[in-house]
Amino acid sequence: MKIPEPFKKGADFEALRKVLMRETTGGPVPIIELMVDGDPMAQVTGLPTPISSMMELLDFVEADGTVSPESLEKGMQLMDLSLAFARDVGYDYVTTIPVVPIPRTRLSTSEATGGQVKRAWQNEHHGLIPDREAFEAFPWPSTDAIDLITLDYLAPQIPEGSKIMLFYFGIFEDLRALMGFEQMAVKSIREPQLLGDILEKLTVLAEATVDRAAAHPAVGAIFYADDMGFNTSTMLSPKWFRQWLIPCLKRIADACHRHGKPFLLHSCGQIDALMEDLIETVGIDGIHSFEDNIEPVESVYQRYHDRISVLGGVDVNLLSQGTEDQVRARCRQILDVCGPGGGFAIGSGNSVTNYCKIENYYAMLDETKKWNREHGF
Amino acid sequence: MEELKKMVAEGRDDLVPDKVRALLDQGTDVEAVMKQALIPAMDQVGELFQSGEIFLPEMLVAAQAMKAGMAVLEPFIKGSGVKPLGRAVVGTMQGDMHDIGKNLVIMSLEGAGFEVVDLGMDVAPEAFVAAIQTHQPRIVGMSALLSSTMTAMKKTIQAIDDAGLRGQVKIMVGGAPVNREFAKEIGADFYGKDSVAGKVFATEAVQI
Repeated sequence: MKIPEPFKKGADFEALRKVLMRETTGGPVPIIELMVDGDPMAQVTGLPTPISSMMELLDFVEADGTVSPESLEKGMQLMDLSLAFARDVGYDYVTTIPVVPIPRTRLSTSEATGGQVKRAWQNEHHGLIPDREAFEAFPWPSTDAIDLITLDYLAPQIPEGSKIMLFYFGIFEDLRALMGFEQMAVKSIREPQLLGDILEKLTVLAEATVDRAAAHPAVGAIFYADDMGFNTSTMLSPKWFRQWLIPCLKRIADACHRHGKPFLLHSCGQIDALMEDLIETVGIDGIHSFEDNIEPVESVYQRYHDRISVLGGVDVNLLSQGTEDQVRARCRQILDVCGPGGGFAIGSGNSVTNYCKIENYYAMLDETKKWNREHGF
Repeated sequence: MEELKKMVAEGRDDLVPDKVRALLDQGTDVEAVMKQALIPAMDQVGELFQSGEIFLPEMLVAAQAMKAGMAVLEPFIKGSGVKPLGRAVVGTMQGDMHDIGKNLVIMSLEGAGFEVVDLGMDVAPEAFVAAIQTHQPRIVGMSALLSSTMTAMKKTIQAIDDAGLRGQVKIMVGGAPVNREFAKEIGADFYGKDSVAGKVFATEAVQI
């Protein structure tokens, strides 16, 4: 089912930027997503998609760090789809990713709900860097290998008033992918310097990518995604994060801020123990990813909205399992708390996945439009 | 015994095997080593994890140390008459290939003295049914990361019910999108917010 009507006509990234940077409390509540899977984008636009879920993007880079011509072709198709999707829905930006050719383990795929939903999964047990020897032998790409072809491809095509939102797959995510989660967790105690050395390599690449991307005139903001928590706590101790990860994140955020662009953080899980570090030391401008099971977006908004913007918030579980009426009711609850004070953009709590009901996604957009209208926007 | 307990809690898998051997050489019986050192050490680690004083890596290295100790005890357990606390069958749902949570549950159950059959990832409802028929567990644990895969929990419980096995097992569920209401709705016996909560439930369930 194609989208019946856009959330709004025309893009206005400047208005979104003011919300992200909390420079205004007036104006309508905008919409934002970190990521939308290929399937829902295809449903919205009526165009074909080269991939079902966005995790499959990680497989575009081969195990040796190269990108095949087929993957490049798929990448181009995906950018065309993202462009059409942003235009059809009425987002103020178009999302893309940089090409950072870090070799990774291949993903596994699975099918759920009777084969209707395909998902790609990172190996959690075995990575390419199990020990110091593998680290030394690893073919780390140089910063010269970073390719921002995606920005150059999209920049001349984005709608007037729109900007590009660059999605960067975070260094802690990559650390887990390179070592395997369990290996990484154990080595964080037994061999912490190995994790530190891998993080340093990844930080150099992230810093260079973000610096170059944020300097691009078509880029409006960096959306940096790095899951750090489980449902109940951070994955490793807050002490570990403060010692090893926070300084790296600060360097990456600084690379973005050098060019005056917002640095938005997506992190799943209960990471409240790190919020002061993220706000004060790293200097994030906005926080994204909320699950009602962990903490509803409203309470996070009430705690932090005077210091950072709060983004998204509609639980993916609700978008995939709930009814349209439930989605509308929940959106209204969120908007009534987070809408009037500014510094808030609505969207899914995580991403619009290929198992979300498209009618629920449309209900979220429509209810927000109604709420904005009722409030004079 | 206190020294061994401390070694396990601190994840010293390099020291634990020798300490276990020394205790056995001194005439300490296998059951005492398990019940007075290894299991209490893991209980202590679980409590610290639940209270937020330690985190996942510390739990993992403690479990590795416990395993190292159990490996020394294994040959002696067979002839000693020591029985496991109970048997559990655990797996992630069909379509789900995330198993950190499931592995933590296994680790916690083994740490409490359970014998655990790990069905792995992406487990079909009929595979749960077959495992219950084969292994006759008292506890069944199900894990899911995604909203799309947690729906398979309902189908799996239904399949267990259809096979006439529901009355003989206690079913516990967990995972990021799962909560108490959902567990109740699908007919599970327990929702655990973390692996330690699952262990506490399972331990009580086998003692009823």
